[in-house]
Amino acid sequence: MKFIEDIFNHLNGWGLTALTLILGACEFAYGLYANKWSKNERTLDIVSFIIPKFITRPFIAYVGLLYLPVLFPGGKNMFSWVPFWWGFFIIAVADDLTQYWYHRLHHQVPWLWRFHRTHHSANYMGMAMASRQNFIYTIFFSQIYLTTALVYLGLGYSALFVTVTKSLIVMGAHSSIKWDKPFYKYKILRPFAWVLERLISTPATHHAHHADTHGDGVGYYKGNFGNMFFLWDIIFGTGIITRQYPESYGIKHYKQEEWYAQFLWPIFKSKKQGSELAANGPMVGDAEEVVPEVTARENEIFDNVFIIPS
Amino acid sequence: MQIEKEISKKIVRDIAISIFLYALPVLLMLLSFYITGERPWQNSKPAQLQLSK
Repeated sequence: MKFIEDIFNHLNGWGLTALTLILGACEFAYGLYANKWSKNERTLDIVSFIIPKFITRPFIAYVGLLYLPVLFPGGKNMFSWVPFWWGFFIIAVADDLTQYWYHRLHHQVPWLWRFHRTHHSANYMGMAMASRQNFIYTIFFSQIYLTTALVYLGLGYSALFVTVTKSLIVMGAHSSIKWDKPFYKYKILRPFAWVLERLISTPATHHAHHADTHGDGVGYYKGNFGNMFFLWDIIFGTGIITRQYPESYGIKHYKQEEWYAQFLWPIFKSKKQGSELAANGPMVGDAEEVVPEVTARENEIFDNVFIIPS
Repeated sequence: MQIEKEISKKIVRDIAISIFLYALPVLLMLLSFYITGERPWQNSKPAQLQLSK
């Protein structure tokens, strides 16, 4: 147990950052970004990676642990009696279900969309864009608020394990390395794949969420909202499982908006005409999009698609 | 731009289900204590004050 504890402690400290950088370097070396990483995209990805990790989160944790004893003097280690695995289960559900809702509402409530758009504007998948978010989106939902409070209440150990497990799953789901492919390919692994793809986010299900198409049998950007657990999409009927990967990613109406406008909208606006991030831009750029009719070829694709009834 | 009526209905329905899902792990933990007779909160020590000499 001490060995596992050490692994998780190191992962939480510097390990996850190192792993992200190593995976990102591998993706880059294998040409998985396929010359899509322009200077504007690169700057946005790097700024979104560095600022929350090294400035925002440490600041929130420091301020939280400084003021929680003043606000809730009797709360310190109040729940330290909760057994580890129960703590893990309670925090995993509370954390990930809240993030599911935060994510889903940013897609389904039109005025929230522009705060989350930055995460979807990249036309590639990978480590480089995994932490790509608008700053306002990050500060209004940061796992660090919950983790800071739980550490104070005495559930820090369970929270640490949830944070690391979740980070590994979310990282794997965004990666351009399709690690889940063998599970669909080899017959012996398929029963395991059936459970896996319903329980957690995989590259196949999460890539579908980042597709620039919807309803073509693979792309599904109006669903598959789960972060660590895909189970929420199964329960609420907001997901599809196809075991396929989209041909293209991003948003069709992307105008390569300036990195600072994507990172700090609405503080900074885009100068691009007709952009969702421009001063007089539309709230949702594809609101008038006409859903294409399903062709015979697409019907063939649909035969292999598992659609979750809502 | 307004949220579609159908979507807002589903959101309300799913939030109601979520309340149950949030409570589920806590309820299961309490049920396990009830079945096994465990009372871990009785053995917990209050937070120690760190006093420097």
